[in-house]
Amino acid sequence: MQVRKEGWGLLFYHQTRHKMCFVRSGDWLYPEHFDGTWTEQNIIEDIAARTGTPAEIIEHSLPKLTKRLTSSRLITHEVR
Amino acid sequence: MKYADWPLAAPVNITWEITHQCNLRCVHCLSASSEASEDELAFDECKRIVDELAELKVFEINFGGGEPLLKDYFLPLLSYIHKKGIVTCISTNGTCLTDEAIALFDNNPLVNVQVSLDGATAEVNDAIRGRGTFPQIIAGIERLAGKNIPLSINSVVTSRNYFQLKELKELAVSYGANLRVSRFRPSGRARASWEALRLNSLQLKELADWLNGEPDILTGDSFFSISQDGRRQLGLDMCGACKMTCCIDPFGDVYPCAFLQAEELRGGSLREKTLKDIWDNAQTFNYFRNLEPESCRSCPRFDKCRGGCPAVAYFINQDLNSADPECLANWSGELTLPSTP
Repeated sequence: MQVRKEGWGLLFYHQTRHKMCFVRSGDWLYPEHFDGTWTEQNIIEDIAARTGTPAEIIEHSLPKLTKRLTSSRLITHEVR
Repeated sequence: MKYADWPLAAPVNITWEITHQCNLRCVHCLSASSEASEDELAFDECKRIVDELAELKVFEINFGGGEPLLKDYFLPLLSYIHKKGIVTCISTNGTCLTDEAIALFDNNPLVNVQVSLDGATAEVNDAIRGRGTFPQIIAGIERLAGKNIPLSINSVVTSRNYFQLKELKELAVSYGANLRVSRFRPSGRARASWEALRLNSLQLKELADWLNGEPDILTGDSFFSISQDGRRQLGLDMCGACKMTCCIDPFGDVYPCAFLQAEELRGGSLREKTLKDIWDNAQTFNYFRNLEPESCRSCPRFDKCRGGCPAVAYFINQDLNSADPECLANWSGELTLPSTP
């Protein structure tokens, strides 16, 4: 899986299936969040620190996104 | 909003025609390839382009031509690209495969190979690709089959071979490959063979029905103008030129797509500008992003195809602002297409 930053969010690309996934995440997420070293809690804290968004709002939204990416087989629980 | 309306900072994939040299003279060749042209890009120039593609995070490069395997630096260029982590799709006529090439392709997660074959029999294929080519192409496919190489067999659907699609699929499956069908478009040498080889409306309708029942057949975005709703879930459903993709020719000139290589549509030269500059600022590219043929806007299917293939419209009508001449919806009420839910 590869990912790149776009103005509206992130563009995911699955190289063996040639599939893409458009994620309208604005400035919340960056490709580095998916390098395998970040936990979901780390990401929530990073977003909150950078954007000033209350953590509870991020905690509400982020699992929906990760669930979608997981169901699309773009990320797994092992490699985010 | 559909995916193609999401502005991208760079293409997702690039079609790169690396040379005009080809050992075959296919009557439908989109680039009218034959001999290498003077002043094709040098290896160092290609590497500089690759450096920028990697920086822009372009995910895929689809190589065609010409026959890319005839370019002397092609395999070293592939290796250079793979070091950057970019996926490559190599479209070859299958007759120039070397042991070195197959060794580079095998067990390489960044390689996909597509072999062109235009008939399930020598009689049909050779009428398009040249006398004696069928056994040479099959021999090439056999060299690739059984290796750990994602392999597809690509057929441009014409009036000569459309009745062999089932056999072509069986042939592909017998080699562990996928069948990919491409749309016949009137560019390059195909402009001269267009009337003889194009599908008539009934054949296009039959093709649309067949594709709808064959979800495993790959089409890329070729048939979005005739695709029925079930098939649209498989991938692209409108022209991606200048939105998702563009084409680099052997001289480094950048065009909206491989089928739209006309001087007036040239976005710029990579010898003079960066791809980023061309992608963001070329007048042609911005025109394409906003292209909505006037005659299509009242069509209930407009949101599904946005006017179809501009290349066909351009070469047939000399007008980018006209509908795809092969649009199913335009033909008549006898064609029943699924309505928008």
